[in-house]
Amino acid sequence: MLPLCSRVLLSHPFSPMSLMALREQLNMLVNSMYIEGLLDQQFQQLQMLQDASSPGFVAEVINLFCEDAERILTELTKLVDQAVVDFQKVDAYVHQLKGSSSSVGAQNVKLACIQFRQFCEENNKDGCLNALNVVKHHYYLLRNKFDTMLQLEQRIQAYDSKQQN
Amino acid sequence: MEEGEGSNGGVFEGGLEVRVLVVDDSPVERRMVEGLLKKSGAMFQVIAVDSGKRAMEVLGLTDDKAEHPTVDHQKVDIILTDYSMPEMTGYDLLKTVKEQSCRKPIPVIIMSSENEPQRISRCRAIGAEDFILKPLQTNDVLRLRSYARPTELSPRTGTKRKMTLELMAENSGSDRRPRLAGLAVS
Repeated sequence: MLPLCSRVLLSHPFSPMSLMALREQLNMLVNSMYIEGLLDQQFQQLQMLQDASSPGFVAEVINLFCEDAERILTELTKLVDQAVVDFQKVDAYVHQLKGSSSSVGAQNVKLACIQFRQFCEENNKDGCLNALNVVKHHYYLLRNKFDTMLQLEQRIQAYDSKQQN
Repeated sequence: MEEGEGSNGGVFEGGLEVRVLVVDDSPVERRMVEGLLKKSGAMFQVIAVDSGKRAMEVLGLTDDKAEHPTVDHQKVDIILTDYSMPEMTGYDLLKTVKEQSCRKPIPVIIMSSENEPQRISRCRAIGAEDFILKPLQTNDVLRLRSYARPTELSPRTGTKRKMTLELMAENSGSDRRPRLAGLAVS
């Protein structure tokens, strides 16, 4: 829950103070994501690719990542639930998710995928089941934070557009 | 298949343009590589595809040209391909490209998240120009420029100079080591 002053300020979406509060909130959110291990420095690489010619690049890639991750997690859930698990198929999907999470700087998800692949290599079904839950936990935590991040960015950009008009 | 902007056959006035065919089954990684290439300067034109099969179509290396009569077999200066892809791996694509583009060989750079010496040797043995660890960084992209070299045309009076590109298809020695953490390459 935001402090009262922030809530009052945010109720006036286009005041200078609310813009500052939004920027501060966004910075605090992103910093906390680094501290908690949700993000690593690869995320900075992603941010650096956003500029005036690609103003929505970060949002685009985050959305692509989330769509792809959820597709993969759905497939993994089906595969790991089978009586006889095809560990090669499972590993292939986990490898994909590891790659995309590595690309966007989703550190905890990436590390959970690395652990998951270890269980695939061992043909360990219980290990895979647990590992899948861990990956899901980290992914959904990250996704919630990404949602908040993108909402804040949208509001900041809306304010900037209004200022320019 | 996603395509970059404009098409002028690798030539534009006053500068260089390199057509890079990016092959990766991951939409996230494709987009990141595309973003990196475009951010590095105006010199890269990016064609991004999601499979080795589509890459073959772009390169005009499929047998079924009759089924795709409208496919524009675009000139590609460099192929940047992921190693691990379903059906047709980056290795398979590399092998096919090297076998079939012998008159005008196209440099192929392999990307992989796995730092495996055997994988690297395998790719080098059949002609991969370089092997880059994922995720790609800005300096990896800058290295790609070394795989395409300009050939300056004779300037004509009253016209702007134009540059065309020739490919560097052969290994040139020690400056071609792959970017690999902690791995010495002899």
